[in-house]
Amino acid sequence: MKTRILLADDHEIVRRGLSALLQRHEGWEICGEAIDGREAVDKAKQMKPDVVIIDIGMPNLNGLDATRRILQQDPNARVIVLTVTDADQVIREALDAGARGFVLKSDAARDLVSAIEALQGKRMFFTPRVNELLLAGFLEKGQIMSRNQPPMLPTLTAREREITQLLAEGRSSKEAASLLNLSTKTVETHRSNIMRKLSLHSIRDLVVYAIKNKIIQIDMPPESSELAAAVPAQRTDSPV
Amino acid sequence: MSSSDSVGVVENQGAMTVITRILLVDDHPIVREGLRTVLQRRAGWEVVGEASNGVEALEQVERLQPDVMVLDITMPRLNGLEVCRLARQKTPATEILFVTQHDSPQMMKEALNAGAKGYVVKSNAARDLVHAIEAVSQHRTFTAMTRAETSSSDSTVRRS
Repeated sequence: MKTRILLADDHEIVRRGLSALLQRHEGWEICGEAIDGREAVDKAKQMKPDVVIIDIGMPNLNGLDATRRILQQDPNARVIVLTVTDADQVIREALDAGARGFVLKSDAARDLVSAIEALQGKRMFFTPRVNELLLAGFLEKGQIMSRNQPPMLPTLTAREREITQLLAEGRSSKEAASLLNLSTKTVETHRSNIMRKLSLHSIRDLVVYAIKNKIIQIDMPPESSELAAAVPAQRTDSPV
Repeated sequence: MSSSDSVGVVENQGAMTVITRILLVDDHPIVREGLRTVLQRRAGWEVVGEASNGVEALEQVERLQPDVMVLDITMPRLNGLEVCRLARQKTPATEILFVTQHDSPQMMKEALNAGAKGYVVKSNAARDLVHAIEAVSQHRTFTAMTRAETSSSDSTVRRS
């Protein structure tokens, strides 16, 4: 029986690359593709894939919140997170979300096959940086994992994080309500709660909060370019 | 990295077929793989080499003299804009097409000023890449963005 894999990345060119890579492996098949976190959650529910490969930086619902939802739907789901960075904070969030694999996008061509094989064998797969952080946390009895690092999103509910992402991406309350099948009034209430909980006073503050907390990601221009100020702040796609 | 030496024209049952030779430059192998899957569809196009950073790109473009270099902007060692400027001096016959995540009119302007002939946003690359290479290989400008309002007398301009 073939191992069925669901691919979630907002860039079709990346999905094609992943698909070409994985289809060379006998016994694996791509059962579906998703272009954002919301679609990944829906397709994971419909298709019940053996493995979900999910990009973190996606529009509408980011890969980490999508991973949480997928695992709420099916606690046995096996999710590999694809990321452009293995910064400590991102690692913590991925582990907290329940991912069993963590692969850097830059190393995907090398590591992804090993990661899927690990998950097939009921094991986990992490980059050396994740292993280092986990080991440090173990040796210091968890101190490293929590030292100077309050939980990234300490007070927001899953629904509030979703709404934060949509508003920070530039959507109106009405648009967010339509996407989430909620009333505009309900979204407005969530919005007020979010602003109050986080002591924010404007949508600009909310965008800054969303970027700082990796709810949305921004494109970074090349360092030598003089265009740093020209790059839009609300971008949500991963810098691949 | 795969590569082949320049031929440019091959015989096809007596007729001469022009081969468009393409160099792929992106620091993520998985993106290069995805670009290849799009390009392989077209007869007459050949990916003659790949590079994973700016320095390697310059070495390859000088050695292979491709017709088109598909170039990322954000890369280690030397970014794509610098590569573009230098490549235009070293191998002016090679047309440069940026495929980048930067969906910004300012960045596109910078890229064209650096000497690029085309600019495609990575999120739309699967859709736009073939048209873009068709255009730039014939020395026509191709720009396609999702956000920017663009206009150019000799451009193929697309918006989503």
